[in-house]
Amino acid sequence: MTISRSPVELLEQIEELSGQTVSDCYQCGCCTSGCPIGEAMDPPPSKAIRLLQLGKASELLDSDGIWMCASCLVCGTRCPRAVDYARIAEACRVLVLRSKQSRVDPDTVTVPELEEIPQQAFIAAFRKSSV
Amino acid sequence: MTRYTYYPGCTLYTKARNLDLCARKAAEKVGFELVEMPSWNCCGAIYNAASDDLAAQVGPLRNLAKASQLGDKLVTLCAACHNVLKRVADRLSQPGNEVERDRLVAFVDEKFDRPVRVLHYLEVLKNEIGWDKVKEKVTKPLAGLKVASYYGCLMVRPKDVLEFDDPENPQVMDDLMRVLGAVPTRFDFKAECCGGYLVVNRRDVAKSASKKILDNAKAWGAEAIVTTCPLCQYNLDKLRVTTDGSIPVFYFTQLLGVAVGLTQDELGLEHNAGDPAGFLKAKGLL
Repeated sequence: MTISRSPVELLEQIEELSGQTVSDCYQCGCCTSGCPIGEAMDPPPSKAIRLLQLGKASELLDSDGIWMCASCLVCGTRCPRAVDYARIAEACRVLVLRSKQSRVDPDTVTVPELEEIPQQAFIAAFRKSSV
Repeated sequence: MTRYTYYPGCTLYTKARNLDLCARKAAEKVGFELVEMPSWNCCGAIYNAASDDLAAQVGPLRNLAKASQLGDKLVTLCAACHNVLKRVADRLSQPGNEVERDRLVAFVDEKFDRPVRVLHYLEVLKNEIGWDKVKEKVTKPLAGLKVASYYGCLMVRPKDVLEFDDPENPQVMDDLMRVLGAVPTRFDFKAECCGGYLVVNRRDVAKSASKKILDNAKAWGAEAIVTTCPLCQYNLDKLRVTTDGSIPVFYFTQLLGVAVGLTQDELGLEHNAGDPAGFLKAKGLL
């Protein structure tokens, strides 16, 4: 990770880009328990928000978890404190991508995949994960 | 016959031709016409929620502006296009976003004649045509076929923007299936994510999420699944995550097409996995 900003600056940027206030979360875990990808997401939503609350934004930006969120919005729909983690994950991905680091390299896609998978999946994956 | 401006989107021209073809033909049978808007462009496939990302709004905004020159409604079918266009229309209509909207409209150099309501085909059937009228057009009832309606995430969330249905237990496709003579089954995973675009680089995750959905539909006794999203259809149908592959995944327009008497050629079954034609024949529906 080459985003060299202080933890306070990073948190401010994440809150601005996401429109969310991380201190609103009281860690009930409803988001994580309902996340359809939760088993594969590290950290899962509530832990990710906890990292931000503890001033560890760069740890979250380095994580695999922010790239696993497919923005299905179940977490935010169910959150009793109206915190939308999908928007927080989006803000984290945007910060990484704007530092010119791709998560998915389009050149790794093979021809059989291109012939099978609907193009909306490629467009979505590359918009979410590639510079 | 009421005419609606229609936005098909990229995937419905290629991998999901079956979704598009049946929808147009079935609409004519039911009593409305989809008129494809000229020179549309990609909607962007996914909404970008970052507060400052204007670039991601350009594509959808251009489509909305073009549509506004033709009327005040725009009909969609692909769940992803519907989600993106509706969210961008909502974002740009919010008080405080006038400057952002005016800059984007000036950038795409299109007139924005009036606000555009983005309607899904299912909303047209339910709210504009009405279930009673749809029922009158059914010539081949679905004979008690047990169908699980799969909505996924894009149709129902965010709830306050899409205003489509209950985000936890949506009903509109279940209602349609009932109108067509099928029996909608209970289905706990009807609004759970199939893994979506993660299939591109994390196929394992998409497979795991899709398998849970299919297993739950089967556990409730479903004989078939219906959806309106080409990506959900791919993940549930073509990844073949269940070993026996025993549950066909149709577009809702295909079963609508069967019920209103479209021919087999018009159903586009060759684009589904497995043997959907054989399945329908065995049920006496083809």
